[in-house]
Amino acid sequence: MLVLTRKLGEGIVVGDDITITVVEIKGGTVRLGIEAPRSTQIHRQEVYRRIVAENRDAAHWEMVDLEAVSASLTVLKKETP
Amino acid sequence: MNKIITRFGEVEYDPEKLLHFPAGLIGLPTLRDFIVMPNRKEGPLFWIQSVDEPGMAFVLTDPTNFFLDYRVAPDTAERQTLRIDQGDDCFVLVVVTVPPDQKITLNLAAPILYAPKSNRALQMILDKGGFSPKTPLPG
Repeated sequence: MLVLTRKLGEGIVVGDDITITVVEIKGGTVRLGIEAPRSTQIHRQEVYRRIVAENRDAAHWEMVDLEAVSASLTVLKKETP
Repeated sequence: MNKIITRFGEVEYDPEKLLHFPAGLIGLPTLRDFIVMPNRKEGPLFWIQSVDEPGMAFVLTDPTNFFLDYRVAPDTAERQTLRIDQGDDCFVLVVVTVPPDQKITLNLAAPILYAPKSNRALQMILDKGGFSPKTPLPG
């Protein structure tokens, strides 16, 4: 891992189009400002990891469970095909 | 027609009619093309079968079947990815986790936007709203 030391107001540049700036340092908390193209997905690491873990979990299921669940579900709205 | 062997058996599909995720699923960027499979039982759940990795399949549903107020709309960048314009249809789906105890959960924190016009889809993370990736069914 690359480790850099930055002061308040300083930043780092990732590639040609992503800039991360230290906006505030208070107690044990650092606020970062991120400039990136709109199409770049930016997420808090723990949130991202939870979604990745859930996607991997969701890929493991059995047809018998899906069929049993389907038979027992009630939906709130009328289905539109 | 093409064929793949999945863990649920042989599946025949039309390569022109695949559901395409240009960026894959979150954390699974290589899973880009899926066959949309009808459930063999009636009900709101259906599943998508990865063509890229035949061992991977996901159960999806329209979340408004269970959460009437759940709404997600694509922003400009997302519409570009989906190759649609502002007025075009865009539906919201969520990934369903079906554990062996059959107490299913919906991933309301990371919905899938689906554009029928382009047959493209993307998965996004909702940072606001306090939705859980393991939301149990209401009631």
